[in-house]
Amino acid sequence: MLRALELDPELASRLVTAQRLEERRGHRGSGLPELDALLGGGWPRGALSELAGRRSSGRTSVMLAALARAARAGEATALVDTGGALDPRAAEACGVPLPRLLWIRCPAEQALKAADLVVAAGGFDVVALDLGDERPRVPTAAWVRLKHGAERQGTSVLVATPARAVGAFAAAAIELAAAAPQFESGAAPPLLDALRAKIVCLRRAHRSANDTGELRAPCASVAFTCRS
Amino acid sequence: MRLCCIYVPQLALQAVLRRAPELRGIPAALLAKVGKGKPRVSELTSEARRAGVAAGMTGAQAEAACPGVRLFESTAADREAAEGALADVGFAFAPRVEREPERVFFEVEDMGRLYPEGEQAVAQAVQAQAARVGLEARVAIANDKGTARVATRARDLAVVPAAPARARAFLAAVPVELFTTDAELRAAFRRWGTRTAAQLAELPPDAVALRLGEPGARVCRLARAASSSDDEPFMPLLPTDALEEAVELDYPVYELEPLSFVLRGLVDRALARLGARGLACAGLTVRLALDPRGLDVRAVPIAAPTRDAATLVQLLRLDLARRPPDAPIVGARLVALPARARPTQLDILRPAGPAPDRLAATLARLAALVGPDNVGAPALEDTWREEAARVAPFPISAAPPPPSSSSTPALSIRRLRPAQEIEVLVGREGPTALRGAATTARVLVAAGPYRASGEWWRAPEEGGSWAREYWDVHASDGAVYRVHQDQRDGRWFLDGYYD
Repeated sequence: MLRALELDPELASRLVTAQRLEERRGHRGSGLPELDALLGGGWPRGALSELAGRRSSGRTSVMLAALARAARAGEATALVDTGGALDPRAAEACGVPLPRLLWIRCPAEQALKAADLVVAAGGFDVVALDLGDERPRVPTAAWVRLKHGAERQGTSVLVATPARAVGAFAAAAIELAAAAPQFESGAAPPLLDALRAKIVCLRRAHRSANDTGELRAPCASVAFTCRS
Repeated sequence: MRLCCIYVPQLALQAVLRRAPELRGIPAALLAKVGKGKPRVSELTSEARRAGVAAGMTGAQAEAACPGVRLFESTAADREAAEGALADVGFAFAPRVEREPERVFFEVEDMGRLYPEGEQAVAQAVQAQAARVGLEARVAIANDKGTARVATRARDLAVVPAAPARARAFLAAVPVELFTTDAELRAAFRRWGTRTAAQLAELPPDAVALRLGEPGARVCRLARAASSSDDEPFMPLLPTDALEEAVELDYPVYELEPLSFVLRGLVDRALARLGARGLACAGLTVRLALDPRGLDVRAVPIAAPTRDAATLVQLLRLDLARRPPDAPIVGARLVALPARARPTQLDILRPAGPAPDRLAATLARLAALVGPDNVGAPALEDTWREEAARVAPFPISAAPPPPSSSSTPALSIRRLRPAQEIEVLVGREGPTALRGAATTARVLVAAGPYRASGEWWRAPEEGGSWAREYWDVHASDGAVYRVHQDQRDGRWFLDGYYD
């Protein structure tokens, strides 16, 4: 009966379900239980978060897991992709429903502006900003603007960089150490089986007044399975 | 049948005022050339009339009568746009409209549920809508076209009662001159001493028909409120597919900035017309008239229907900056493709997502920033080529969430687009070292080869067939790369790396 209710789209876009309200208060699941435990529930809502990692560290897989988790929950998601490195087949294998992902391919100098526009549109639950392999030169004001936009709209903005760039503007930050590839030992020739990523939590959002965000053992290990 | 008539007096002058609204409230007059003589004032604003300017004056005489009066010449572009805007006012209220010079008619019989206050409210709404598109209109509602036409000449806002006796009483005081534009008929009625509709209605219709023919008899029937749709059938038409706004410039424009200013005016006026019909803009075509001759036609794709003027102007600016016109611009015509602003039924129990209007505007802005080919939803190509991907239009309406799939984390790959050509040292077990722009490293483990080929049916000019051997290599720089060797020419390429 509730579904038969006809609501003005503008009004409906402002409606917040009870489940979403609950999630909005704190964190949103990252799609990886080990990482959720590390971050105290997942990526913080309405804030910038940073994933730093070199090549083959598992950075892209962590980012796609977060996008897949949000998209499967029916949320709108966006990926600002510098260099157009996304592989739609791999994204689909990671569980991302492709029609629900807004993909923006752009050079690095337009990435912040594009992310800003998407966040300002409102309604996007997770916006991932993939800055590629080069460490970008981003003015501080751009991070401030993006952070305020995320706070206003309640959007989780994930910034994936090869090395830390967001600094103190990130409410949560993780670093992925060089991952160890696992090959099927019995096969000849060998087959790539998985990539075991080591995640180090550098910073996380405070959950309560007593929680300082400091972690005693801020590490986790996640194995990403090769499905191609 | 109840018909509404919208009449825009001095449409040519109003067309100019619509293009240049800053001229409202100041003395302004329109010059028109008749025959071989000098252009003479044909239409003028009330401010100019009060200042002593009169129709038929030359430009010099008008300036002498009112120093500072703004004089203009009417252009076909202005007039066409104003006539289109007038029709759009009608289409805002009815699906079909009959057009006449300076007038439109449409049916308002069934608008009682929308305007329960009555026909007066309908007429006021129509007049307000005309003002929104920049036209000062007179509106009348009557039983037939002739009566509605007379009523618009008599009053700014008129609702002629439906009952014949009350309609006759309504028209009784209207001067006879307003019933016809035929000078001979007017002179005849004047000779007979008839000044008002009441006096005209007392004349015997058969006798009038005998002396003045059918036109005279029709005027009599109008005055007696006995006219019907048989005299003048209502013949409405559907709206045109596209909406046009145009401007002819007095001088050539060489630079992008002043041209953007001109385009902004066109876009604003086009969006006001679309907004009146509850539509959004789904595509733009701009025809720029070049100096001294020639046309520059460019189509600007829009990611999703939008009513955001700033976004549309930005798209036009970017297109012009990317491909500047070859010559100065002396005119511009904007063709806007109307589309329904997509209504979306959202689910109260599921996340709402972005508001459709704002999302459409954002998509258009993103397309303007990074190019329309780089914004959308990722989509798979129907091919076995690993790197094949395309950008599909991003759906504005929220699709139902897909069912949950396996939650085990999958490994992703980052693609280098296009694949980089690299040098590879090959040993007995496969690649042993890589060298390229992206990396130079020894190979620790090489997994492969995985052979793939296809598209043998394609002609060489379409890309032709392909045959590759893929390897996954763990390099000494810590990364796991995906490389392939083209089996046709032996060259090696770096496709990307697992991440």
